[in-house]
Formats: sequence, structure tokens, C-alpha cells
Amino acid sequence: MSHLDTAQLTELKDIMEDAFGDLVSTYLDDSTEKLSALDSAVTAQDAKEVASLAHSLKGSSSNICASGLAEKFKVLEDMGRAGDVTEAAAALEDAKAAYADVEQELKSL
Amino acid sequence: MDVAPLKILIADDNQSDRMILAAIVKKMGHETCAAGDGLEAIEQFKQHSPDIILLDVMMPNMDGQEAAVEIKKLAGEDMVPIIFLTSLQDASDLAACLDSGGDDFLSKPYSPVILQAKINAFSRMRRMNNTLQHQRNLIRENNEHMVHEQEVARAVYDNVAHSGCLNLPNLRHLLSPFSVFNGDVLLAARKPSGSLHLLLGDFTGHGLPAAIGAMPLAEIFYGMTAKGFAMAEILREINIKLKNILPVGYFCCACMVTLSFERKQIEVWMGGLPEYYLYRQDTKAIEKVVSTHLPLGVLSRDAFDATTEKFALNNGDKLYMWSDGIIEARNDEGDLFGEERLLDIFTKNTKPDELFDEIVSIVNDFSGESGKDDDTTVLEVTMVDEDEVGKVDIDLSSGAVTGPTDWCMTYTLRCDTLKTFNPLPVMLSILNDVPALRILSGQLYTLMAELFSNAFEHGVLGLSSGMKNSADGFAEYYKQRTIAMSEMIDGYVSFQFDLKPLENGGGQLLITVEDSGEGFDYKAREDKQFQAGGYSGRGIPLIRTISDSIEYHGKGNIVKVALSWEGLGAD
Repeated sequence: MSHLDTAQLTELKDIMEDAFGDLVSTYLDDSTEKLSALDSAVTAQDAKEVASLAHSLKGSSSNICASGLAEKFKVLEDMGRAGDVTEAAAALEDAKAAYADVEQELKSL
Repeated sequence: MDVAPLKILIADDNQSDRMILAAIVKKMGHETCAAGDGLEAIEQFKQHSPDIILLDVMMPNMDGQEAAVEIKKLAGEDMVPIIFLTSLQDASDLAACLDSGGDDFLSKPYSPVILQAKINAFSRMRRMNNTLQHQRNLIRENNEHMVHEQEVARAVYDNVAHSGCLNLPNLRHLLSPFSVFNGDVLLAARKPSGSLHLLLGDFTGHGLPAAIGAMPLAEIFYGMTAKGFAMAEILREINIKLKNILPVGYFCCACMVTLSFERKQIEVWMGGLPEYYLYRQDTKAIEKVVSTHLPLGVLSRDAFDATTEKFALNNGDKLYMWSDGIIEARNDEGDLFGEERLLDIFTKNTKPDELFDEIVSIVNDFSGESGKDDDTTVLEVTMVDEDEVGKVDIDLSSGAVTGPTDWCMTYTLRCDTLKTFNPLPVMLSILNDVPALRILSGQLYTLMAELFSNAFEHGVLGLSSGMKNSADGFAEYYKQRTIAMSEMIDGYVSFQFDLKPLENGGGQLLITVEDSGEGFDYKAREDKQFQAGGYSGRGIPLIRTISDSIEYHGKGNIVKVALSWEGLGAD
């Protein structure tokens, strides 16, 4: 089962042309960094930081055609905005798993 | 629809998002510059002046909204569309973005089709805004230009208008400082004979169209008055001039007055103006003087009627003239001042000397804050003796510096010409070409007028000079004159001028006037004593005081007058 939107992906490849590969590696490098920071924020129970990082990851994920993954980050963002990240650890694990799938699929393109 | 290449600023803290946007925008043919947070976005804006800005809402250091506020401030009057990039969905959040200066949204994931459409739409708006600004600047420039032109026009007009004599002791006037642009004109000038010409004009409309008509009108008025032309001739010239130059629907309501200090009389022509009041000092009565003609500039030369009304005035009697601005002045409530209020001022007045001031202050009080006296033109004319206003000043600045000094000419006027043509202005004009004679202009005019009157009325028409003994006699005399002129079938008056230089640097003018009449027994006259003063006589005592010598020849129908003068530069 594909974790990426095929139609959107086609359009994205069309837009990026030869730079598509660069885009993918940029996204992956950036996301890895941000996920690590998100992890620390959840541990530290920093709701604001959680919201900010989750928001950013949500945005970039939707742009890379991974809308399902974006949804996972939205859950974390909402928690952060509400000011209550006590249950965030579970949602984070969920997001990390989804990210791993997307990462694998992107690398195989 | 393709647009011209634009410069687009992409501000997003996510590198991969920036890459995607940049690719979309570059594919459209536009140029890009990038920023990673709000502060960088402002820097990029200052440096590159992008045409459109794509701005992420949530960024570190300074978020999109703060940056938007700052950028709009920096842009000032220019339109720089800001499209917020956001995945915010709450309505109040989105509204807050627009409040901070954003013009639109683009949500993630970015759709190339939608982004392109938005960029095109905003590009159109930008162009329209630029056009508007450009046009507004042009309008502003043109307006400043026009105001400046009006100031220049005003200065030129003032030079033409202010060579008049509105400051004579028997005149009081109120002329608003904006009179050039409300179309009102007030002119005063003395004829060489000493009489006073007055003209109050009210041109249609306001602004430059009204001011322009006043220029030729003033030139004709002053020029012809100085040359001794009569009122009717001046009015005819002004009328046809205005008819020729003014567009259809533009004209000049006017009142012209000739005031004769000597004959204690005013002659009035009025067209299109509201009624005027004539105040009698002895009875305190008020007579109304009304317009009987159309305004100037309407009728053709043939249709124009220069008929005037005459009024006998004693010293102290006053004529009040105004434009309709005084009647149409409005107070703060919008009421008109009206003719009744104006008449009221006259009937209630107890001190005639203060009447003019009363009119001015009552109208001012009425107008209050609104408009004040920017349309009010008033003139008070009082009949006085000529001593009070002084003799006529001759303007030496007109005419050439050098002129003919040795010449002779004969000018003969025959029957039909004598009936309709006044030769004095043109003959005086020829004599005025001689610089030395210009100083004697007033005396020359009087001399020529007397000689012509004698030759034509007593000589050719055969009228008796004895009739001019009294005021009633004058009226009878002029009645008979009109009859005699209409019955004339032949006759002539001939003027000969002989100008020679003298050895002392001066010159001599010999005037010979011959008429076709029966003459008179001049030998008998010379034996009599002449009375000083009095109305009658062939004006001979008057001519004697001006000339060096006066001799009669033939039947008494030929008179030779000699004048001489010293060389100029002896001053």
C-alpha cells in the first residue's frame, strides 16, 4: 500500500524535473533533524515547541505528498496548541512509524 | 494569460517547501529570492524590492504576520501583494492574517495551478494600482501647473486693470481680492476732456474663461477713453470684440457710465445687471436705474443698441453700482441676501456719508463665515466739481519717443461723414504722434473739440450759439442739433495741420479750420468785451487762453489757430 499520493507525486516530479532527487534528500535530512528535536520537546513536555515543530513537519510532509503522515503530525500540533502534551509520547511513536514508511518509499523512487 | 516576469520573494522556514515554491514560480518565468524567517524576509524586501511576496505564517525569530506589518509600512503607497503560506484552518486565525496586511492565502500542499492563478490576479492588481498612482500624479502636476498659470494671468490682468483711476476722491469701491476669478470687472478712466468713464462688468462663469474676456475689454476701455471716444463707440467696440472672441453662452453683463463734472450729468448704459440706486442728497429720495439692454457680447454689430439714459445730478448726489454677487450672497443657512435687504439699507440710512460703509458691513455680517465677499463688487459714485478730482493726467509713457516734426496735412469731412463720424479721436491720435504735442494733449483736445463744434454746429448747421445760455437752453439746443443733422444735404468741415520746427528747438502748430457755413461778423465781435465764464460764445475765450493767436479769415468761416512750444529736455 502506498503512503504517497500518486497523482500529486506525478505533478511534483513534473514541477521539480531534474531537481526532484535534491528535493527528496533535502526533505529527508530536514525531517530527521526536526524529528529528533520533536523527541526532545516531548520528553521535556515543552508544549509550545512541540506545536511549532509538529506544525512544520506537518506542512513539509503534505507538500511531499505524504498526507497521511501530515495527519499524524497534526495530532501532535493540536496537543501542543492545547497546552497539554502529557499523552504526546504515544502520538509521537505513531508519527515516527508512519515517517519510517514514507522515508522508505521516497528512497525507493 | 501570461504576465511579464516578476520578482517574487519566498519566505518559508522549511527548506523543502521553499524548493517546491521556487520551482513552481521559476517555471512561470519569474525570478525568485528566498528568506528563512521574518527578519530575513524584511531584509530581502529592502534589498530586492520584490513585486509579490509569498510569506509563511509560522516562522522562527519573527513570524509572518509581524513581517507583513513591517513590509507594508516599508512599501508605503506602492502595492506589494502578500500571499500567506499556511496550513492554519481556524477562521479567526486566517482573519488575523489578513488584518495584519496579508492579501490572500495559499494552503499546503501547494497547488501550482492555484498559485499561478493567484500570482496572475495580483499582478493585474499591481499594474492597475501603478496606473492609478501615475494618473494621480499627473493630475496633481497639472493642477499645480494650472494654479500657477492662474497666478500669472492674475498678475498680468492686475497690470491692465490698475492703470485706472478708481482711487479718485469721488469714488468708493469694494472689489473682492478674488475678482479676477469671479468674473467681475471695475474700470475707471478720465477722458481728455475731463469727463469720467466708469465700467462695471460681470462676466459669465468663473475662473480663467471669465478673466480672459476682461483683458480685451479693459484694453478697449482704456485705449478709447484716453483718445476721447464717446461712450457709445466704446460700447460698440467692446460688444463686437466680446461677441467675436467669447464662446456661445458667454457674455458680459455691464453698466457703463459717463460722468460730466462740467455739465453735472451722468449718462448710463446698462445690460443684464440688477437695478441700481440713485440717491438724491437734498430730498433723500432713491431713484431706480434699470437695465434696458442685453449684456455685451450677445448681439451683432447691427443689432447692438447703444442708447443711453441721462440723469442730471447735483453735487452730493450718488449713484450706486454693483454686480449681482451682492444680491446672491448667501448666509450660513443658505438664505439669499436679496434685493429687499439691499433696498432696506438705503431706506433706513440716516447718514449718507456712511451709506457705503453700511452696505459693506451689512453684507459682510450677513455672509458670515461662508464665502464672505468673494463675489461682491460695489461702486459708489458722487457728483462733485472738477476741482475736487483734479485735471486730467496725461500719460507720456504711451506713444513713440521720436516723431514727425515737419509736416502738413488736410482732412476734409463731407456731409454724410459729418452726420455719423466723430473725427476727433483719429485727429488727436495723429497729433499725439508728435512727442511735444502729447504734453499738450488735454488742451489740444479741448481746442479741437471747440473748433470742430463751432465749425460744424454754428457753421455748417447754422445753429445759434446764444442758445447755450442756460440749462434749458442746452436741452433745446441739442434738440435742434439733432433735427438739423438729419436734414443736412451738403456741407463740409476741413482741418489743416501745419507743423514746423522752430530754431529754439521747439515747434509750432498751425491749425486752420474751414466750414461751408455763412461765417459770422468777426470784425464786430473783436470790438466787444467778452464775458468771462458763461455758457455761450464760440468758445473763443477758451481758445485764446490755450493758443498763441487766433485769426479769422474769409466770411468768418475760416479760423487759424497757432500754438507753439519750447524744446523738450529743458526740464
